[in-house]
Amino acid sequence: MRIIHLMDDREATSLSGMSTPPAAPPTSDVDLFADDVLIDPYPVYAALRETGPVVHLTKNDVYALTRYDVIRDALADWESFSSTSIAFNPMANEALTGTSLASDPPDHTRLRATLTENLSPRALRGLKGRIEEKADALVAELVDRGSFEAVDALARAFPLEVVADLIGFKGHVRENMLRWGQAAMQVLGPLNRRTTENFPIAGELYQWCSEVRATDLAEGSVGRGIFDAEARGAIPEGTAGHIIHQYLGAGVDTTIAAIGNVVALFAAHPEQLRLVHEDPSLVPAAFNEVLRQWAPVHAWGRRATRDVEVGGSVVPQGAQVAILFGAGNHDPRHYENPDAFLVERNPVDHLSFGYGPHGCAGQGLARMEAHAVIGALARRVERLVVGPEVRVPSNTTRSIEELPVLEVIPA
Amino acid sequence: MRIVLDRPRCEGHGLCEEAAPQLMHLDDEGELVLDHEEVPESEVAAAKAAARVCPVAALRLA
Repeated sequence: MRIIHLMDDREATSLSGMSTPPAAPPTSDVDLFADDVLIDPYPVYAALRETGPVVHLTKNDVYALTRYDVIRDALADWESFSSTSIAFNPMANEALTGTSLASDPPDHTRLRATLTENLSPRALRGLKGRIEEKADALVAELVDRGSFEAVDALARAFPLEVVADLIGFKGHVRENMLRWGQAAMQVLGPLNRRTTENFPIAGELYQWCSEVRATDLAEGSVGRGIFDAEARGAIPEGTAGHIIHQYLGAGVDTTIAAIGNVVALFAAHPEQLRLVHEDPSLVPAAFNEVLRQWAPVHAWGRRATRDVEVGGSVVPQGAQVAILFGAGNHDPRHYENPDAFLVERNPVDHLSFGYGPHGCAGQGLARMEAHAVIGALARRVERLVVGPEVRVPSNTTRSIEELPVLEVIPA
Repeated sequence: MRIVLDRPRCEGHGLCEEAAPQLMHLDDEGELVLDHEEVPESEVAAAKAAARVCPVAALRLA
């Protein structure tokens, strides 16, 4: 609904005698990007959800969407919520200009098609067998070893290898994938210390992607295929490097987070692992529940293109919006007993991949990787005995830094 | 009721097929095929579920 401006004022104005127009949203002084909130945002999410479906966070000057329905509606409504401000600082938004991530239709439609040409489930369907073999071999080796640090040995090792082989990375790029991928996500935060420290590292990735040539990538790889597509004119000239940038920037850190969460949640809930062991058809449901339980991404930005009514209050035109995927995923209005980890609930409509035109472009690959890992764990492991997990605050991705597996009880 | 597919938007994630295999399937090329565009009364719930789970909002009911 369009709110008519009666005055040159960004706040919706109430005139006596008229039916009550939507009011300004409630406010909160929570800092979304404070260390303790980034480590565990769920208590804050619960409080914000009760404050309102949209809450103006005065410290961050963002309008946070907190409840399931308003988040899903906003993700679908690209006309009211522009992707030109997905990051929480202008430098990162500027750097992302011209990518599908930060564009709106109609430009977005073309850029997205280019990006997904080699990344959609259609394009990747031949990889499934190889990815499953790799995951199974890795999990088998770890079960044999009996104790290991799960983030390095599995959550990082597996997606890094899959993505490196997929794109065809060789040499020093393979070694830089983790720090480049982490930095690309960190710099989407507000201009805090984490963002400024990571800009130079994200810059290395950007620089490398602007110089990479077909011959830098392994023959027969998807990365090589992107350059072939550019050479035959299927995608615009000069876009191959940008696409590779997005694969690395968006597809590494998030998948690592998701797989780390798989290990931690199944270690904490062995009875849920047993359910998947007994019925392997639950693997996709189990991954949906892992993503719902702990969203790999904290907050994602949008810009209100007009005064937008959200759940009875107004997000003013031009406002920076923060979509809190994890808050929506734990909304008791949508999911019964939302804090419980239950693989059988199969929350296919969770918000962690986003939704709609900008829904995660790499979700097909992420699913393939995570299903392979969950399948192998459920087949081979009865229970994992783990030590305390270590978490480090991070602006965009919420992931476990270290998770010691002390003992594996094989299935 | 009819299922409407936004073909350019469809990326072949296949979640709709899992929700309503009686109405649609991915072919060998990974392209979505609508087996029943007109939804019989008995399958309306399945069609709604399929449209709802499409992660890129490529399906709608009209």
